[in-house]
Amino acid sequence: MLSRLVLVSGPAFKSSGSFGACVVQASRSLHSSPQSLAPVPPLPEKGGKVRHGIIPEELFQLLYPKTGVTGPYMLGTGLLLYLLSKEIYVVNHETFAAASIGAVVVYGVKKFGPQVAAFADKLNQDKVSKAQEVKDLAMTSLAQAVEDEKKEQWRAEGRPMLFDAKRNNVAMLLEINHRERLHLVTNEVKKRLDYQIEVQNLHRRMEQEHMVNWVEKNVVSSITPQQASASLPCSSPGFLLSTPVRQMELFPTFRFGDLYLYLLWPPGRGSALVFRAVYIC
Amino acid sequence: MILSFFDQFMSPTWLGVPLIALALTLPWIMYPTPSSRWLNNRLLTLQGWFINRFTQQLLLPLNLPGHKWALIFTSLMIFLITLNLLGLLPYTFTPTTQLSLNMGLALPLWLATVIIGLRNQPTAALGHLLPEGTPTLLIPVLIIIETISLFIRPLALGVRLTANLTAGHLLIQLIATAVFVLLPLMPAVAILTATVLFLLTLLEVAVAMIQAYVFVLLLSLYLQENI
Repeated sequence: MLSRLVLVSGPAFKSSGSFGACVVQASRSLHSSPQSLAPVPPLPEKGGKVRHGIIPEELFQLLYPKTGVTGPYMLGTGLLLYLLSKEIYVVNHETFAAASIGAVVVYGVKKFGPQVAAFADKLNQDKVSKAQEVKDLAMTSLAQAVEDEKKEQWRAEGRPMLFDAKRNNVAMLLEINHRERLHLVTNEVKKRLDYQIEVQNLHRRMEQEHMVNWVEKNVVSSITPQQASASLPCSSPGFLLSTPVRQMELFPTFRFGDLYLYLLWPPGRGSALVFRAVYIC
Repeated sequence: MILSFFDQFMSPTWLGVPLIALALTLPWIMYPTPSSRWLNNRLLTLQGWFINRFTQQLLLPLNLPGHKWALIFTSLMIFLITLNLLGLLPYTFTPTTQLSLNMGLALPLWLATVIIGLRNQPTAALGHLLPEGTPTLLIPVLIIIETISLFIRPLALGVRLTANLTAGHLLIQLIATAVFVLLPLMPAVAILTATVLFLLTLLEVAVAMIQAYVFVLLLSLYLQENI
Protein backbone atom coordinates (compact mmCIF):
# COMPACT_ATOMS: atom_id res chain seq x y z
CA MET A 1 0.00 0.00 0.00
CA LEU A 2 2.78 2.32 0.91
CA SER A 3 4.61 1.25 -2.23
CA ARG A 4 1.69 2.45 -4.30
CA LEU A 5 1.91 5.77 -2.51
CA VAL A 6 5.62 6.03 -3.25
CA LEU A 7 5.05 4.89 -6.82
CA VAL A 8 2.57 7.65 -7.36
CA SER A 9 4.79 10.21 -5.70
CA GLY A 10 7.94 8.81 -7.30
CA PRO A 11 7.77 10.70 -10.58
CA ALA A 12 6.85 13.80 -8.62
CA PHE A 13 9.95 13.35 -6.45
CA LYS A 14 12.12 12.54 -9.41
CA SER A 15 11.59 15.96 -10.79
CA SER A 16 12.37 17.48 -7.38
CA GLY A 17 15.72 17.36 -5.66
CA SER A 18 15.14 14.71 -2.92
CA PHE A 19 16.05 11.33 -4.34
CA GLY A 20 16.37 9.60 -1.00
CA ALA A 21 13.13 7.71 -0.58
CA CYS A 22 12.07 7.17 -4.15
CA VAL A 23 15.26 5.77 -5.66
CA VAL A 24 14.54 2.36 -4.16
CA GLN A 25 10.98 2.29 -5.46
CA ALA A 26 11.75 4.13 -8.70
CA SER A 27 12.81 0.88 -10.35
CA ARG A 28 9.22 -0.27 -10.10
CA SER A 29 8.29 2.02 -12.95
CA LEU A 30 10.73 0.03 -15.10
CA HIS A 31 8.92 -3.29 -14.54
CA SER A 32 7.43 -4.51 -17.79
CA SER A 33 5.48 -7.66 -16.90
CA PRO A 34 2.47 -7.77 -14.59
CA GLN A 35 3.38 -9.03 -11.14
CA SER A 36 0.75 -11.66 -11.05
CA LEU A 37 1.11 -15.43 -10.87
CA ALA A 38 -2.49 -16.19 -11.73
CA PRO A 39 -3.69 -18.21 -13.50
CA VAL A 40 -1.27 -20.85 -12.28
CA PRO A 41 -0.11 -23.04 -15.18
CA PRO A 42 -1.20 -26.63 -14.89
CA LEU A 43 1.23 -29.24 -13.58
CA PRO A 44 2.43 -31.80 -16.09
CA GLU A 45 0.57 -35.07 -15.68
CA LYS A 46 3.50 -37.37 -16.27
CA GLY A 47 7.11 -36.88 -15.24
CA GLY A 48 9.85 -35.95 -17.66
CA LYS A 49 10.77 -38.60 -20.17
CA VAL A 50 13.89 -40.56 -19.25
CA ARG A 51 15.91 -43.12 -21.04
CA HIS A 52 17.38 -46.07 -19.14
CA GLY A 53 15.66 -44.91 -16.01
CA ILE A 54 17.85 -41.99 -15.04
CA ILE A 55 19.12 -40.10 -18.10
CA PRO A 56 16.68 -37.42 -19.24
CA GLU A 57 15.52 -37.52 -22.83
CA GLU A 58 16.52 -33.87 -23.26
CA LEU A 59 20.20 -34.85 -23.33
CA PHE A 60 19.60 -37.13 -26.28
CA GLN A 61 17.60 -34.46 -28.06
CA LEU A 62 20.35 -31.94 -27.36
CA LEU A 63 23.07 -34.09 -28.84
CA TYR A 64 21.05 -35.51 -31.72
CA PRO A 65 21.71 -32.73 -34.29
CA LYS A 66 25.47 -32.94 -33.85
CA THR A 67 26.19 -36.55 -33.04
CA GLY A 68 23.13 -38.48 -34.12
CA VAL A 69 21.60 -41.38 -32.25
CA THR A 70 24.78 -42.89 -30.81
CA GLY A 71 26.16 -39.56 -29.58
CA PRO A 72 25.13 -39.73 -25.92
CA TYR A 73 26.18 -43.36 -25.67
CA MET A 74 29.61 -42.52 -27.02
CA LEU A 75 29.81 -39.69 -24.54
CA GLY A 76 28.89 -42.02 -21.69
CA THR A 77 31.29 -44.73 -22.70
CA GLY A 78 34.08 -42.25 -23.25
CA LEU A 79 33.49 -40.63 -19.91
CA LEU A 80 33.46 -43.96 -18.12
CA LEU A 81 36.61 -45.15 -19.79
CA TYR A 82 38.32 -41.87 -19.05
CA LEU A 83 37.42 -42.13 -15.38
CA LEU A 84 38.58 -45.73 -15.20
CA SER A 85 41.76 -45.44 -17.16
CA LYS A 86 42.92 -42.33 -15.41
CA GLU A 87 42.00 -43.93 -12.12
CA ILE A 88 39.89 -40.95 -11.22
CA TYR A 89 37.41 -43.60 -10.20
CA VAL A 90 39.29 -46.47 -8.55
CA VAL A 91 37.75 -49.92 -8.75
CA ASN A 92 37.62 -51.41 -5.29
CA HIS A 93 35.29 -53.46 -3.16
CA GLU A 94 32.75 -50.67 -3.16
CA THR A 95 32.31 -51.17 -6.89
CA PHE A 96 30.98 -54.64 -6.31
CA ALA A 97 28.79 -53.46 -3.48
CA ALA A 98 27.51 -50.78 -5.84
CA ALA A 99 26.91 -53.37 -8.53
CA SER A 100 24.91 -55.56 -6.20
CA ILE A 101 22.79 -52.73 -4.80
CA GLY A 102 22.34 -51.45 -8.36
CA ALA A 103 21.11 -54.86 -9.40
CA VAL A 104 18.64 -54.91 -6.51
CA VAL A 105 17.35 -51.45 -7.39
CA VAL A 106 17.00 -52.19 -11.09
CA TYR A 107 15.25 -55.46 -10.39
CA GLY A 108 12.89 -53.78 -7.96
CA VAL A 109 12.00 -50.95 -10.31
CA LYS A 110 11.50 -53.22 -13.30
CA LYS A 111 9.38 -55.69 -11.42
CA PHE A 112 7.28 -53.44 -9.19
CA GLY A 113 7.46 -50.13 -11.04
CA PRO A 114 4.35 -50.52 -13.18
CA GLN A 115 2.32 -51.87 -10.25
CA VAL A 116 3.28 -48.97 -8.01
CA ALA A 117 2.54 -46.47 -10.78
CA ALA A 118 -0.84 -48.08 -11.41
CA PHE A 119 -1.58 -47.98 -7.69
CA ALA A 120 -0.73 -44.29 -7.51
CA ASP A 121 -2.87 -43.62 -10.58
CA LYS A 122 -5.70 -45.58 -9.03
CA LEU A 123 -5.55 -43.49 -5.86
CA ASN A 124 -5.91 -40.35 -7.93
CA GLN A 125 -8.54 -41.90 -10.14
CA ASP A 126 -10.61 -42.87 -7.09
CA LYS A 127 -10.56 -39.27 -5.94
CA VAL A 128 -11.63 -38.05 -9.37
CA SER A 129 -14.31 -40.67 -9.76
CA LYS A 130 -15.81 -39.84 -6.38
CA ALA A 131 -16.12 -36.21 -7.35
CA GLN A 132 -17.31 -37.19 -10.82
CA GLU A 133 -19.97 -39.39 -9.27
CA VAL A 134 -21.30 -36.51 -7.24
CA LYS A 135 -21.27 -34.30 -10.31
CA ASP A 136 -22.97 -36.95 -12.46
CA LEU A 137 -25.59 -37.56 -9.83
CA ALA A 138 -26.27 -33.85 -9.60
CA MET A 139 -26.49 -33.60 -13.36
CA THR A 140 -28.83 -36.55 -13.75
CA SER A 141 -31.05 -35.31 -10.96
CA LEU A 142 -31.16 -31.85 -12.53
CA ALA A 143 -31.89 -33.28 -15.97
CA GLN A 144 -34.63 -35.38 -14.40
CA ALA A 145 -35.97 -32.25 -12.73
CA VAL A 146 -36.02 -30.49 -16.12
CA GLU A 147 -37.89 -33.40 -17.65
CA ASP A 148 -40.38 -33.45 -14.80
CA GLU A 149 -40.90 -29.71 -15.15
CA LYS A 150 -41.54 -30.05 -18.86
CA LYS A 151 -44.04 -32.79 -18.18
CA GLU A 152 -45.79 -30.63 -15.62
CA GLN A 153 -45.95 -27.79 -18.09
CA TRP A 154 -47.47 -30.08 -20.70
CA ARG A 155 -49.97 -31.26 -18.13
CA ALA A 156 -50.78 -27.69 -17.26
CA GLU A 157 -51.38 -26.97 -20.94
CA GLY A 158 -53.82 -29.81 -21.11
CA ARG A 159 -55.79 -28.70 -18.12
CA PRO A 160 -57.90 -26.08 -19.97
CA MET A 161 -58.91 -28.82 -22.37
CA LEU A 162 -60.03 -30.87 -19.42
CA PHE A 163 -61.98 -27.94 -18.08
CA ASP A 164 -63.59 -27.38 -21.46
CA ALA A 165 -64.63 -30.98 -21.66
CA LYS A 166 -66.08 -30.84 -18.18
CA ARG A 167 -67.83 -27.59 -18.98
CA ASN A 168 -69.28 -29.19 -22.10
CA ASN A 169 -70.45 -32.14 -20.08
CA VAL A 170 -72.18 -29.96 -17.58
CA ALA A 171 -73.72 -27.83 -20.32
CA MET A 172 -74.97 -30.96 -22.02
CA LEU A 173 -76.52 -32.23 -18.83
CA LEU A 174 -78.21 -28.92 -18.24
CA GLU A 175 -79.42 -28.87 -21.81
CA ILE A 176 -80.77 -32.37 -21.48
CA ASN A 177 -82.52 -31.48 -18.29
CA HIS A 178 -83.94 -28.35 -19.83
CA ARG A 179 -85.22 -30.19 -22.84
CA GLU A 180 -86.73 -32.89 -20.70
CA ARG A 181 -88.58 -30.27 -18.79
CA LEU A 182 -89.68 -28.57 -21.98
CA HIS A 183 -90.88 -31.89 -23.24
CA LEU A 184 -92.74 -32.45 -20.02
CA VAL A 185 -94.31 -29.06 -20.18
CA THR A 186 -95.25 -29.52 -23.79
CA ASN A 187 -96.79 -32.86 -23.04
CA GLU A 188 -98.80 -31.53 -20.16
CA VAL A 189 -100.00 -28.57 -22.13
CA LYS A 190 -100.86 -30.79 -25.04
CA LYS A 191 -102.78 -33.09 -22.75
CA ARG A 192 -104.80 -30.26 -21.42
CA LEU A 193 -105.39 -28.82 -24.85
CA ASP A 194 -106.29 -32.23 -26.19
CA TYR A 195 -108.74 -32.58 -23.38
CA GLN A 196 -110.28 -29.30 -24.28
CA ILE A 197 -110.40 -30.33 -27.93
CA GLU A 198 -112.01 -33.59 -27.04
CA VAL A 199 -114.50 -31.79 -24.92
CA GLN A 200 -115.25 -29.45 -27.79
CA ASN A 201 -115.42 -32.36 -30.17
CA LEU A 202 -117.73 -34.11 -27.87
CA HIS A 203 -119.91 -31.07 -27.64
CA ARG A 204 -119.92 -30.68 -31.36
CA ARG A 205 -120.68 -34.29 -31.94
CA MET A 206 -123.45 -34.30 -29.49
CA GLU A 207 -124.82 -31.17 -31.04
CA GLN A 208 -124.56 -32.67 -34.47
CA GLU A 209 -126.06 -35.88 -33.36
CA HIS A 210 -128.84 -34.08 -31.74
CA MET A 211 -129.35 -31.93 -34.78
CA VAL A 212 -129.23 -34.87 -37.06
CA ASN A 213 -131.66 -36.70 -34.95
CA TRP A 214 -133.88 -33.70 -34.89
CA VAL A 215 -133.56 -33.23 -38.61
CA GLU A 216 -134.19 -36.85 -39.32
CA LYS A 217 -137.04 -36.96 -36.96
CA ASN A 218 -138.53 -33.99 -38.59
CA VAL A 219 -137.87 -35.25 -42.05
CA VAL A 220 -139.14 -38.63 -41.33
CA SER A 221 -142.11 -37.30 -39.53
CA SER A 222 -142.75 -34.98 -42.41
CA ILE A 223 -142.66 -37.76 -44.93
CA THR A 224 -146.21 -38.81 -45.36
CA PRO A 225 -146.84 -42.39 -46.09
CA GLN A 226 -148.21 -41.67 -49.50
CA GLN A 227 -145.24 -39.57 -50.51
CA ALA A 228 -142.94 -42.27 -49.40
CA SER A 229 -144.68 -45.01 -51.31
CA ALA A 230 -145.05 -42.84 -54.37
CA SER A 231 -141.59 -41.49 -54.87
CA LEU A 232 -139.25 -43.87 -53.13
CA PRO A 233 -138.66 -47.50 -54.21
CA CYS A 234 -138.79 -50.15 -51.55
CA SER A 235 -135.55 -51.94 -52.13
CA SER A 236 -133.34 -48.98 -52.78
CA PRO A 237 -130.68 -48.96 -50.36
CA GLY A 238 -130.01 -45.99 -48.22
CA PHE A 239 -133.58 -44.95 -47.83
CA LEU A 240 -135.77 -45.55 -44.95
CA LEU A 241 -139.38 -46.73 -45.33
CA SER A 242 -142.18 -45.24 -43.39
CA THR A 243 -141.32 -46.69 -40.19
CA PRO A 244 -141.41 -44.71 -37.05
CA VAL A 245 -138.17 -43.13 -36.03
CA ARG A 246 -138.13 -45.00 -32.83
CA GLN A 247 -137.77 -48.24 -34.54
CA MET A 248 -134.77 -47.25 -36.30
CA GLU A 249 -131.48 -48.17 -35.03
CA LEU A 250 -128.85 -45.67 -35.78
CA PHE A 251 -125.24 -46.56 -35.56
CA PRO A 252 -123.20 -43.54 -36.54
CA THR A 253 -120.16 -45.07 -38.12
CA PHE A 254 -118.12 -42.77 -40.27
CA ARG A 255 -117.66 -39.10 -40.42
CA PHE A 256 -115.96 -37.50 -43.36
CA GLY A 257 -115.83 -33.87 -42.43
CA ASP A 258 -119.49 -32.82 -42.69
CA LEU A 259 -120.65 -36.05 -44.30
CA TYR A 260 -122.03 -38.60 -41.96
CA LEU A 261 -122.36 -42.21 -43.00
CA TYR A 262 -124.73 -44.21 -40.87
CA LEU A 263 -125.07 -47.87 -40.64
CA LEU A 264 -128.66 -48.81 -40.29
CA TRP A 265 -130.40 -51.97 -39.38
CA PRO A 266 -133.91 -51.51 -39.75
CA PRO A 267 -136.09 -53.84 -37.75
CA GLY A 268 -138.04 -56.53 -39.35
CA ARG A 269 -137.32 -59.83 -40.76
CA GLY A 270 -135.10 -59.94 -43.75
CA SER A 271 -133.96 -56.46 -43.45
CA ALA A 272 -130.38 -55.84 -44.49
CA LEU A 273 -127.72 -53.68 -42.96
CA VAL A 274 -127.74 -50.54 -45.00
CA PHE A 275 -125.66 -47.47 -45.18
CA ARG A 276 -127.21 -44.14 -45.12
CA ALA A 277 -125.35 -41.02 -46.00
CA VAL A 278 -126.44 -37.83 -44.43
CA TYR A 279 -124.82 -34.59 -45.26
CA ILE A 280 -125.02 -32.27 -42.37
CA CYS A 281 -123.71 -28.83 -42.81
CA MET B 1 46.92 -43.79 4.68
CA ILE B 2 45.67 -47.29 5.35
CA LEU B 3 41.99 -47.80 4.97
CA SER B 4 40.28 -50.01 7.44
CA PHE B 5 36.80 -51.30 7.23
CA PHE B 6 35.71 -48.97 9.97
CA ASP B 7 36.51 -45.81 8.09
CA GLN B 8 33.08 -45.89 6.50
CA PHE B 9 31.65 -45.26 9.95
CA MET B 10 33.72 -42.20 10.61
CA SER B 11 31.82 -38.96 10.76
CA PRO B 12 32.40 -37.29 7.41
CA THR B 13 34.51 -34.19 7.20
CA TRP B 14 35.86 -32.35 4.24
CA LEU B 15 38.79 -30.06 4.59
CA GLY B 16 38.08 -30.03 8.29
CA VAL B 17 34.44 -29.10 7.87
CA PRO B 18 32.12 -31.62 9.48
CA LEU B 19 29.47 -32.75 7.07
CA ILE B 20 27.31 -34.57 9.56
CA ALA B 21 24.72 -31.81 9.43
CA LEU B 22 24.45 -32.24 5.65
CA ALA B 23 24.30 -35.98 6.03
CA LEU B 24 21.39 -35.60 8.41
CA THR B 25 19.43 -32.92 6.57
CA LEU B 26 20.04 -33.54 2.84
CA PRO B 27 17.76 -36.61 2.68
CA TRP B 28 14.93 -34.16 3.31
CA ILE B 29 15.10 -32.92 -0.29
CA MET B 30 13.98 -36.30 -1.53
CA TYR B 31 10.48 -35.75 -0.20
CA PRO B 32 8.36 -33.25 -2.18
CA THR B 33 6.30 -30.75 -0.22
CA PRO B 34 2.60 -31.50 -0.35
CA SER B 35 1.03 -29.02 -2.75
CA SER B 36 -2.31 -27.34 -2.52
CA ARG B 37 -3.42 -29.09 -5.70
CA TRP B 38 -6.25 -31.55 -5.47
CA LEU B 39 -4.59 -34.15 -7.70
CA ASN B 40 -0.85 -34.59 -7.39
CA ASN B 41 1.82 -36.43 -9.29
CA ARG B 42 2.55 -40.05 -8.50
CA LEU B 43 5.38 -39.42 -6.05
CA LEU B 44 3.38 -37.05 -3.94
CA THR B 45 0.30 -39.27 -4.03
CA LEU B 46 2.30 -42.27 -2.88
CA GLN B 47 4.06 -40.28 -0.19
CA GLY B 48 0.79 -38.99 1.17
CA TRP B 49 -0.79 -42.42 1.06
CA PHE B 50 2.16 -44.04 2.84
CA ILE B 51 2.27 -41.45 5.60
CA ASN B 52 -1.47 -41.70 6.17
CA ARG B 53 -1.50 -45.48 6.24
CA PHE B 54 1.52 -45.73 8.51
CA THR B 55 0.20 -43.22 11.02
CA GLN B 56 -3.19 -44.89 11.05
CA GLN B 57 -1.67 -48.32 11.66
CA LEU B 58 0.73 -47.14 14.32
CA LEU B 59 -1.83 -45.20 16.31
CA LEU B 60 -4.44 -47.96 16.18
CA PRO B 61 -3.63 -49.45 19.63
CA LEU B 62 -3.02 -46.05 21.23
CA ASN B 63 -5.70 -44.21 23.14
CA LEU B 64 -6.56 -40.60 22.43
CA PRO B 65 -3.85 -38.80 24.45
CA GLY B 66 -1.29 -40.94 22.64
CA HIS B 67 -2.33 -39.44 19.31
CA LYS B 68 -0.29 -36.36 20.19
CA TRP B 69 2.78 -38.44 19.35
CA ALA B 70 1.66 -39.08 15.76
CA LEU B 71 3.88 -36.43 14.21
CA ILE B 72 7.06 -37.40 16.00
CA PHE B 73 6.57 -41.11 15.37
CA THR B 74 5.87 -40.75 11.67
CA SER B 75 8.63 -38.25 11.06
CA LEU B 76 11.06 -40.43 13.04
CA MET B 77 10.08 -43.41 10.92
CA ILE B 78 10.58 -41.53 7.65
CA PHE B 79 13.88 -40.17 8.90
CA LEU B 80 15.30 -43.53 9.95
CA ILE B 81 14.11 -45.42 6.91
CA THR B 82 15.57 -42.83 4.57
CA LEU B 83 18.91 -42.73 6.32
CA ASN B 84 19.12 -46.50 6.40
CA LEU B 85 18.22 -47.01 2.75
CA LEU B 86 20.45 -44.23 1.50
CA GLY B 87 23.31 -45.72 3.46
CA LEU B 88 23.20 -48.83 1.33
CA LEU B 89 24.41 -46.89 -1.68
CA PRO B 90 28.17 -47.00 -2.23
CA TYR B 91 30.42 -44.34 -0.75
CA THR B 92 27.65 -43.02 1.51
CA PHE B 93 27.77 -42.33 5.18
CA THR B 94 24.97 -43.75 7.31
CA PRO B 95 24.34 -41.55 10.34
CA THR B 96 22.35 -44.29 12.06
CA THR B 97 25.49 -46.38 12.40
CA GLN B 98 26.62 -43.88 15.03
CA LEU B 99 25.63 -44.92 18.51
CA SER B 100 25.55 -41.28 19.55
CA LEU B 101 22.71 -40.54 17.11
CA ASN B 102 20.67 -43.58 18.06
CA MET B 103 21.11 -43.07 21.76
CA GLY B 104 20.25 -39.44 21.23
CA LEU B 105 17.00 -40.53 19.66
CA ALA B 106 16.16 -43.45 21.94
CA LEU B 107 16.94 -42.13 25.42
CA PRO B 108 14.94 -38.88 25.42
CA LEU B 109 11.92 -40.50 23.83
CA TRP B 110 11.99 -43.46 26.22
CA LEU B 111 12.46 -41.15 29.17
CA ALA B 112 9.51 -39.05 27.99
CA THR B 113 7.25 -42.11 28.02
CA VAL B 114 8.42 -43.10 31.53
CA ILE B 115 7.92 -39.63 32.93
CA ILE B 116 4.46 -39.37 31.35
CA GLY B 117 3.58 -42.71 32.92
CA LEU B 118 4.87 -41.73 36.35
CA ARG B 119 3.11 -38.37 36.22
CA ASN B 120 -0.32 -39.44 35.02
CA GLN B 121 -0.70 -42.90 36.47
CA PRO B 122 2.16 -43.63 38.91
CA THR B 123 0.55 -46.70 40.42
CA ALA B 124 0.02 -48.36 37.07
CA ALA B 125 3.49 -47.36 35.90
CA LEU B 126 5.10 -48.91 38.93
CA GLY B 127 2.73 -51.84 38.68
CA HIS B 128 4.30 -52.76 35.36
CA LEU B 129 7.34 -53.77 37.34
CA LEU B 130 5.52 -56.83 38.68
CA PRO B 131 3.89 -59.16 36.19
CA GLU B 132 0.61 -60.76 37.18
CA GLY B 133 0.47 -64.11 38.84
CA THR B 134 4.00 -64.32 40.16
CA PRO B 135 4.58 -66.50 43.19
CA THR B 136 5.08 -64.51 46.39
CA LEU B 137 8.62 -65.67 46.97
CA LEU B 138 9.80 -64.43 43.59
CA ILE B 139 8.39 -60.92 43.97
CA PRO B 140 11.60 -59.12 45.13
CA VAL B 141 13.73 -60.84 42.53
CA LEU B 142 11.24 -60.12 39.85
CA ILE B 143 10.96 -56.44 40.73
CA ILE B 144 14.70 -56.06 40.45
CA ILE B 145 14.70 -57.88 37.14
CA GLU B 146 11.85 -55.77 35.79
CA THR B 147 13.58 -52.54 36.89
CA ILE B 148 16.74 -53.55 35.11
CA SER B 149 14.66 -54.44 32.08
CA LEU B 150 13.02 -51.02 32.23
CA PHE B 151 16.31 -49.16 32.33
CA ILE B 152 17.91 -51.22 29.67
CA ARG B 153 15.21 -50.28 27.17
CA PRO B 154 16.80 -47.12 25.78
CA LEU B 155 20.13 -48.87 25.57
CA ALA B 156 18.52 -51.74 23.74
CA LEU B 157 16.74 -49.42 21.34
CA GLY B 158 19.85 -47.50 20.44
CA VAL B 159 22.21 -50.39 20.30
CA ARG B 160 19.81 -52.54 18.29
CA LEU B 161 19.68 -50.03 15.49
CA THR B 162 23.38 -49.29 15.59
CA ALA B 163 24.44 -52.89 15.73
CA ASN B 164 22.16 -54.04 12.94
CA LEU B 165 23.23 -51.37 10.55
CA THR B 166 26.89 -51.47 11.39
CA ALA B 167 26.99 -55.22 11.10
CA GLY B 168 25.17 -55.11 7.80
CA HIS B 169 27.47 -52.50 6.33
CA LEU B 170 30.54 -54.32 7.52
CA LEU B 171 29.38 -57.57 6.01
CA ILE B 172 28.69 -55.93 2.70
CA GLN B 173 32.15 -54.40 2.70
CA LEU B 174 33.81 -57.67 3.67
CA ILE B 175 32.06 -59.79 1.12
CA ALA B 176 32.53 -57.16 -1.58
CA THR B 177 36.23 -57.13 -0.75
CA ALA B 178 36.28 -60.90 -0.96
CA VAL B 179 34.70 -60.72 -4.41
CA PHE B 180 37.16 -58.03 -5.44
CA VAL B 181 40.15 -59.99 -4.27
CA LEU B 182 38.99 -63.36 -5.55
CA LEU B 183 38.04 -62.13 -9.00
CA PRO B 184 41.50 -62.32 -10.62
CA LEU B 185 42.42 -65.45 -8.64
CA MET B 186 39.37 -67.71 -8.61
CA PRO B 187 36.59 -66.23 -10.76
CA ALA B 188 34.18 -69.09 -10.09
CA VAL B 189 34.43 -68.64 -6.33
CA ALA B 190 34.18 -64.91 -6.88
CA ILE B 191 30.94 -65.39 -8.73
CA LEU B 192 29.57 -67.51 -5.90
CA THR B 193 30.61 -64.86 -3.46
CA ALA B 194 28.99 -62.24 -5.66
CA THR B 195 25.74 -64.21 -5.40
CA VAL B 196 26.11 -64.19 -1.62
CA LEU B 197 26.71 -60.46 -1.83
CA PHE B 198 23.54 -59.97 -3.86
CA LEU B 199 21.49 -61.92 -1.33
CA LEU B 200 23.11 -60.04 1.51
CA THR B 201 22.23 -56.76 -0.13
CA LEU B 202 18.61 -57.88 -0.37
CA LEU B 203 18.73 -58.74 3.31
CA GLU B 204 20.24 -55.40 4.15
CA VAL B 205 17.48 -53.57 2.34
CA ALA B 206 14.95 -55.50 4.37
CA VAL B 207 16.88 -54.94 7.60
CA ALA B 208 17.13 -51.23 6.94
CA MET B 209 13.37 -50.93 6.66
CA ILE B 210 12.55 -53.33 9.46
CA GLN B 211 14.94 -51.79 11.99
CA ALA B 212 13.54 -48.34 11.49
CA TYR B 213 10.02 -49.72 11.90
CA VAL B 214 10.96 -51.70 15.02
CA PHE B 215 12.51 -48.63 16.64
CA VAL B 216 9.32 -46.63 16.21
CA LEU B 217 7.06 -49.56 17.07
CA LEU B 218 8.82 -50.21 20.37
CA LEU B 219 8.59 -46.56 21.30
CA SER B 220 4.85 -46.64 20.58
CA LEU B 221 4.56 -49.74 22.77
CA TYR B 222 6.35 -48.03 25.63
CA LEU B 223 4.00 -45.11 25.17
CA GLN B 224 0.99 -47.41 25.18
CA GLU B 225 2.03 -48.80 28.56
CA ASN B 226 2.39 -45.43 30.14
CA ILE B 227 -0.18 -43.10 28.67
